Amino acid sequence: MKRDDDFVKEFVKHLFPRVVLRRNLHLTYTFCLGGLAFTSFLVLILSGALLLFHYQPSTEGAFKSILYIENSVSGGWYIRNLHRLASNFFLILLFLHTLRVLLTGAYRKPRELNWLIGFGLLCLALFEGYTGYLLPMDQLALWATQTGMNLLGTLPFGEFFRSFLVPDDIGQPMSLVRFYVLHIALIPLSMMILCMLHFYQIRKQKGVLPYL
Amino acid sequence: MSDYVKSSPHFFRIVKLSFVAMIVVLLVLAFFISAPLQGPADISHVPNPSKSAWFLMWTQELVSYTSLMVYLILGLGLVFMFLPWLPISPVADQASWLGKEQKVVNVLVLTSFLGILFLTVVAMYFRGENWSFVFGF
Repeated sequence: MKRDDDFVKEFVKHLFPRVVLRRNLHLTYTFCLGGLAFTSFLVLILSGALLLFHYQPSTEGAFKSILYIENSVSGGWYIRNLHRLASNFFLILLFLHTLRVLLTGAYRKPRELNWLIGFGLLCLALFEGYTGYLLPMDQLALWATQTGMNLLGTLPFGEFFRSFLVPDDIGQPMSLVRFYVLHIALIPLSMMILCMLHFYQIRKQKGVLPYL
Repeated sequence: MSDYVKSSPHFFRIVKLSFVAMIVVLLVLAFFISAPLQGPADISHVPNPSKSAWFLMWTQELVSYTSLMVYLILGLGLVFMFLPWLPISPVADQASWLGKEQKVVNVLVLTSFLGILFLTVVAMYFRGENWSFVFGF
């Protein structure tokens, strides 16, 4: 057990730069916004994994399973609240983190690659939030997703992406399954890989610039 | 190297503190803030107005003026994506808030941020039937 603890400790340590500038060691320097966003992401993964045990990605079963989670699963309402709340925090913190990076000039060369990775993460986070919106299959979910699809339709190549995401109709079996697979597997996995690359770049560039 | 200190324990202390604080805030607030749930999805019952997810509302508000606004959104996205390669972003050698050497970027970022915030608030609270302007409070 001790060896496992050491392994986790060493792994976490290696995610961060070995040394940092002393004068940057105060909360107000970056407000820890990136770290806070990543913490919300971890809470999202854990709470989402718990919801998966009861959620049914079918047109008939989705809404019923949400009612079941809310009313019959022990602590289910709380896990759902937590998942929803963490998703809102995650997006707000990512927006603020992006704002901080832009206004302190941390996106500039020689950190341009990490800016691109972060930009990709922000886009994926928005897409993740959007795909999750449909899953409860209530009125809010259906019509917010429908409106989002109408927005997508106005974009160049929007109809192409729309036909991939929604091969039948919003909330119909195939579109629900596609949103589900994207939301619980493909997007989170891509985000986790990009997060690791993001951290690796920070560690690699620790000596390049006097930023945390 | 004298200005540098080891991340462990100096930097890790801040990381741990923010990690724990975030978890506690989420765990406590989740008791009091309920996730919304309306009636079952019904394709024959169209709400008016039909609003998108909160983080997309600013785009919905913009596109409501003219669908051509979508190109403004795309253009803005592309500008931000390739910002490090644009001449308005000089190579950085010192971190600072609102640095004078990137004045144009600061104005662009703040204008975009405040614009997005303003459009989101308008779409969220001041749009009624058929997307007409109403006082939501």
